[in-house]
Amino acid sequence: MMDNQIHLWAFLQGIGFFPSGWMHPRARPEGVFAMDYYARVAALAEQGRFDAIVFGDQLQSRGAGGRTPERMAMPTLDPVSLLTAMAAVTRHIGLVATVSTTYNTPEMLAERFGTMERITGGRSGWNIVTTAHPATAPNFGEADLPPKDERYRHAKDVVAKACELWAAMDQEGPALPQGRPVLVQAGQSADGRDFAARTAEAIFCPAATIEAGIDFRNDLRARVADVGRNPDAVRIMPGLSCVLGGTEEEARSNHAAILDLADDALGIEYLSESLCCDLTGFDPAGQIPVDTILAQTLLPKADIARAITPAAEKGTPLGEFAAHFMRHPRGHNVFLGTPEQMAEMMIAWRDAGACDGFTLQPSYMPGGLEDFVEQVVPILQARGRLRTEYPGSTLRASLGLPARETVTA
Amino acid sequence: MTRPFILSASVAEASFAVPDDGLTVLRAAEDAGLDLLVMGRAGERPFDAQVLLAWAAPVTSRLGLVATVPATNAHPFHVARALSAIDFLSNGRTGWSVIPEGAPDGMAEDMVGAARALWDGWGSETLILDKASGRYLDASKVQASNYDGPFFKVAGPVNAMRPPLGHPVLVVDGEASIAIADADIALFVDGAAAPAATKRLLKVAVDADPAGLRARFDAGEIDGVHFTLTDGAAQLAAIGARFGSLVTTHADAGADLRQRLGLPLPTTASNQPGGAVIPAMHSEFA
Repeated sequence: MMDNQIHLWAFLQGIGFFPSGWMHPRARPEGVFAMDYYARVAALAEQGRFDAIVFGDQLQSRGAGGRTPERMAMPTLDPVSLLTAMAAVTRHIGLVATVSTTYNTPEMLAERFGTMERITGGRSGWNIVTTAHPATAPNFGEADLPPKDERYRHAKDVVAKACELWAAMDQEGPALPQGRPVLVQAGQSADGRDFAARTAEAIFCPAATIEAGIDFRNDLRARVADVGRNPDAVRIMPGLSCVLGGTEEEARSNHAAILDLADDALGIEYLSESLCCDLTGFDPAGQIPVDTILAQTLLPKADIARAITPAAEKGTPLGEFAAHFMRHPRGHNVFLGTPEQMAEMMIAWRDAGACDGFTLQPSYMPGGLEDFVEQVVPILQARGRLRTEYPGSTLRASLGLPARETVTA
Repeated sequence: MTRPFILSASVAEASFAVPDDGLTVLRAAEDAGLDLLVMGRAGERPFDAQVLLAWAAPVTSRLGLVATVPATNAHPFHVARALSAIDFLSNGRTGWSVIPEGAPDGMAEDMVGAARALWDGWGSETLILDKASGRYLDASKVQASNYDGPFFKVAGPVNAMRPPLGHPVLVVDGEASIAIADADIALFVDGAAAPAATKRLLKVAVDADPAGLRARFDAGEIDGVHFTLTDGAAQLAAIGARFGSLVTTHADAGADLRQRLGLPLPTTASNQPGGAVIPAMHSEFA
């Protein structure tokens, strides 16, 4: 395999990257409840020769302080079900489901992914998460999430046990085509990166700049080598959203149009969810209610204080802060420009060692994915940086990984 | 509507989880005019049936898809989400059957109660999806269920919409029975009492006499039959040949599984009479 190839993953959380994306004329919010939408999306990803489709997941409904938002796209349907249904109408695309190690037993995970691996003919992947949202615990009969270090220790044991169970399923038959699902991780913290280095065959991360991408990839590759694994057998796939246009100016105006779909009320609901505190009763023209937020949030108070204090001290009104917060997605690369410029940016990142490919987060669905596949993919292919045919039928084949590896946690 | 003769079967071969074999069985089931295919059965754990239901949804069009759910290896929050998704993907063709074996007394019933409470946490008409006003949903229709059972305590709301069927069709097997007073379908063997349910299906062998069963159906003793498959595709062909004439009376293609089989949502089980409604949209999507 040529080593300058760009891998593509499609991260399809709900209705797109922007909170206002569901209101776009080319968004199809009712589609997330219909099989024909998923069949169309899967066909687009295969047409673009993506390695995989990934669904993120949460184990709580959206909201803050017990209030369900009215202006944000929700709920999210079960990712394993959506991805497995997409497998039935595709032949090559990999299917990566986000599933928690904290709120599933190894036996549940083994049975679920083992079956998915068989019925998809070796196209399954598991994005391993430990679940960080405190509102999840009461859905599983518990008052609080276990602390982070404990969650990661437990995750290591859960993955190891699940791998044992898959080995047994594989022997018993029918065989698991890849031996087990491809293991994927997205941890950012030191705990998360160490866990990823020991376990993951592909890693997502946010990287807003090419420098951030290079730093992250170098750090992860060093950690992978430190635990005796081959860094070339791990794909680093930073997130990438985009708004395209025929000219740079048109792309900027398309981006502004998406942001302008959002009003104050959506901004405040979005901020409420992010801070885990219901702010919908506060005056958007008034001060940021710092004391209320810090008293009510279930998230780590120090992190929240860091996020809100600078704006509060400057006297930024709540509505303005919310709008700014929603318009500047933390840490992700949002590309604005022409398809040609986007392809060049992607090639530059790949050549600089900032990534092995990208996890595309379309700005709205399905229009954003259509634009990328129809306009950017052909350029990458013409430059010889994106395959025109799939190399095999499994996700590991698409990733350029050995057919079966024996990595265990 | 004419009372339908219901044809049901269970498949529990591990090979059903292999795409070619699975597809062969699903096609044979639809060709045979089967109403329900129960994936998995008590005493056997060949696959995760919920995963196979999702896979079967887009490659079948009429068949009711029933997942067996082991009470000991599942959580109602996950089950409620998976079955909601599959019910949307299959246009309202989903069913489930909780298998109690190995679980402490009451756990299977608690699973049913918790999942029902989560589905009832979303009103049928929650979704608005109005791009012009920016209102995605009506939050007054979303409730935390705060379900508090002996085994499962689940706050909710679940991040899954109420299924199109309201609740998936609940199947109870008399040979692995659970104490649910308002199941939709009971499976029973001759000589044993059928568990309480809206419809009762007699477990029979493939070579059973169709005329005799038709007479018992006409007398109101049974609402249909259920086969325990050991060689799916071959037996389904035989079932189609022998029993197909009994099911020709209910071909209404557009109806969901509850309408087609005459299974209204039990008022004791659900806080609303119907399932989720998705507002019609006018998106620029071809």
